[in-house]
Amino acid sequence: MKKIKIKVDGLNFYYHQKRVLKDLKAELEENLITVISGPSGEGKTTFLMSLNRIYESIPQSRMDGKIMMKFGGGYVDIHSLSPSSLRKKVGMVFQYPNPLPMSIFKNVAFPLKLSGIKDKSYVAGRVEEVLKDAFLWDEVKDRLMDSALKLSGGQQQRLCISRAMIMQPEVMLLDEPTSSLDKDAADKIEKLLLNFKGRCTFVIVSHDGDLIGRIADRVLTLKGGKF
Amino acid sequence: MNNFLEKCAEKGFLVSILISVFLSLGILSFLVFFSLPLIRGGHFLRMMKSGWDPYGGNFGVLPMMVGTGVIASLALFIAAPIGLGCSALISVLAKGNVGGFIRKAVEFMTGIPTVVYGFVAIFLLVPLIREIFNKGTGMCVLSASIVLAVLILPTIVMFLTDAFNSVPGHYLDASAALGATPVQQLIFIIIPFSWRGIVSGLVLSAGRAVGDTLISLMIAGNALQIPRELSDASRTLTAHIALIIAGDCESPEFKSIFLCGLILFVFTACMVLILRLLGSFGIPEDR
Amino acid sequence: MSRFMEYGVTLFAWVSGLILVSTIGSLLTFLLYKGIPALSLPLIFGETGPIDGLLLRKEVFDGLFPAIVGTLLLVIISVIWAIPIGVAGGIYLAEYCKLEWKSFFNFFLDVLAGIPSILVGLFGFTVSIFLHKHLSREVYPCLLISSLALACLVLPYIIRTTEQALRDLPFSIKTTGLVLGSSKLQNILFILIPYSFSRIISGIILAIGRCAEDTAVIMLTGVVAMAGIPSTLFSQYEALPFYIYYISSDFGSQEELMTGYGASLILLFICTFLFTLARILKKKVAIRFANLI
Repeated sequence: MKKIKIKVDGLNFYYHQKRVLKDLKAELEENLITVISGPSGEGKTTFLMSLNRIYESIPQSRMDGKIMMKFGGGYVDIHSLSPSSLRKKVGMVFQYPNPLPMSIFKNVAFPLKLSGIKDKSYVAGRVEEVLKDAFLWDEVKDRLMDSALKLSGGQQQRLCISRAMIMQPEVMLLDEPTSSLDKDAADKIEKLLLNFKGRCTFVIVSHDGDLIGRIADRVLTLKGGKF
Repeated sequence: MNNFLEKCAEKGFLVSILISVFLSLGILSFLVFFSLPLIRGGHFLRMMKSGWDPYGGNFGVLPMMVGTGVIASLALFIAAPIGLGCSALISVLAKGNVGGFIRKAVEFMTGIPTVVYGFVAIFLLVPLIREIFNKGTGMCVLSASIVLAVLILPTIVMFLTDAFNSVPGHYLDASAALGATPVQQLIFIIIPFSWRGIVSGLVLSAGRAVGDTLISLMIAGNALQIPRELSDASRTLTAHIALIIAGDCESPEFKSIFLCGLILFVFTACMVLILRLLGSFGIPEDR
Repeated sequence: MSRFMEYGVTLFAWVSGLILVSTIGSLLTFLLYKGIPALSLPLIFGETGPIDGLLLRKEVFDGLFPAIVGTLLLVIISVIWAIPIGVAGGIYLAEYCKLEWKSFFNFFLDVLAGIPSILVGLFGFTVSIFLHKHLSREVYPCLLISSLALACLVLPYIIRTTEQALRDLPFSIKTTGLVLGSSKLQNILFILIPYSFSRIISGIILAIGRCAEDTAVIMLTGVVAMAGIPSTLFSQYEALPFYIYYISSDFGSQEELMTGYGASLILLFICTFLFTLARILKKKVAIRFANLI
């Protein structure tokens, strides 16, 4: 019995009046890794951005259609939630890591600060947990107060993933997470994703055939604005 | 509670931007308000057409309008070709060290205060002009136009350089592959492609030339006459305002200032409209 | 295209460059030649000793010190008005403004930016006359009015540079807070402003430079030739640019004229320093994000 986490129905997406996604329908299963693949420029990232409504920060973009996600007991239209509460449940990581210019610790703890969680021991505990899950803890445990900008690209990307996971989102969106990294770093990211898999629904945009082969449970190909 | 804070912040930001809108409107309104008696009294057209003759009861601003027109146009006429040439050097013909040096010189020029230009010009340029014309004080239309041209030159060069640099690289690559020389690229591709930026730069500089007070105040001679020759002294709308206020009378003379101001404001608004039609904003980042 | 025309165009360009460089060169050389000899402590402090003058123990009568202080105070107060309103306005345009309204606001901003400075001065003057008649006979053109008028003058620049600084951030940086569940305000305060801080400061420094060199506005709103150090916001004051203008039209002796050169040099130095600083700060931000785009 398939458990569906995300239901997309009749999704049309417009950039400057030009229709990029055409009447899209999809069902994404819970706690699996679904990879969105397809030729470049077809709208994979656009689809991703509609799932956490971050497209609203892009001027002259709009969508219609329904996107429902299963939170708690039932399905909720994501447009009925406030953007910030939606994004606490649906996290996102970009292709190029974007660590904040602060210490490693503060970077990972940042979402907790945004939510007003101040209990120091709780925060420290969560930071350690999530860095261990990302296989980054051993590499940074002795320099948590160092600037995050000193880490390598691969480490920064794992940092960004940890940061996004600290609030325990139910859905994680990743846009080409390994394409800017070398093979070793990419392998570590894949290991990390497999580690988190059971607790979170992953939607990953990628055109890397190897990655798809190794970690994807489902693959949806986006072509001509449709699946 | 947080939501309340968010809404307050948004309203606060909105109020700030509204302040600038109100300032523009405020300045316009007060200019109109004070010019109203003249407009109502039917003097408006007469003031635009006639000369300044306090004793004859004529407070026309025609000489000042002509003064502004002539000096600004001449300045633009002098500065535009030189600006074009310099931009061509910086962006196309001498892109390396020479172009870089000229660019730095232009950037440096934007930092020179207007009053310093005027001060130096009085003691460096004016005696020279006096010699050349062999009459008058040297404070005349030509002197003011030359200094004004130097003042607006950086604006022209920077705008034009940016316009030239924003021509897509592949156009230049394609033409180079077909054997075009840099000069040919400049004339046949770069200039036509960036005409909007060029015209915007010129319009903006014209605005600066018309709106400048100090150069004409210090150098144009401030005579109340319609200039007929380059060696004639003249007065601009801006200098007129400065001089009358300095004299500080509560009189019909005073009201003529607001008319000058209104003319200047209308010119500014037209300039902004033209710039919008050309598709660029009126505020370059570096003055 | 004939060879002749090619050479002609190239020659024209080089001649233009030469004209530009020689004009600036001669201006600078002349100013340095005349101004450097004039630079000395008596230029600034007159007959009063420098320590006494600096600590405001004694008044300086023949020196530039009051004008320098006047300019300094003027700039600081103007910028105190302009920064909060300017940065807030820029934030609004970049983050909250709906597309339909953008043209509307931009138009008025451009008009405000394009208004000749003398009109802003005229506005300030008229406002002070109005207040004089209707509020209190004590109100005259003064430091306060000048600073408010100058703030109006530079407001569009601060708004515009703040807006551009916020808008030019790469998408993944701009939305860092948002994708982590922050509110819009949190994103602005914790992400956008810190990242574009250097650029915003650069815009503010540019505004400071503009305030320091302006003459037309202050001429109509409170600057005078002799006033000493202003004691309150409602006092009249002296300023460097006005001093230079005043001396050029009304110098009694060659010595007085030399002070004009000295003042020009000092003002030039201040403004050049500020503009260079602004430029460096702007480049710093551009370099940091170069590899994220």
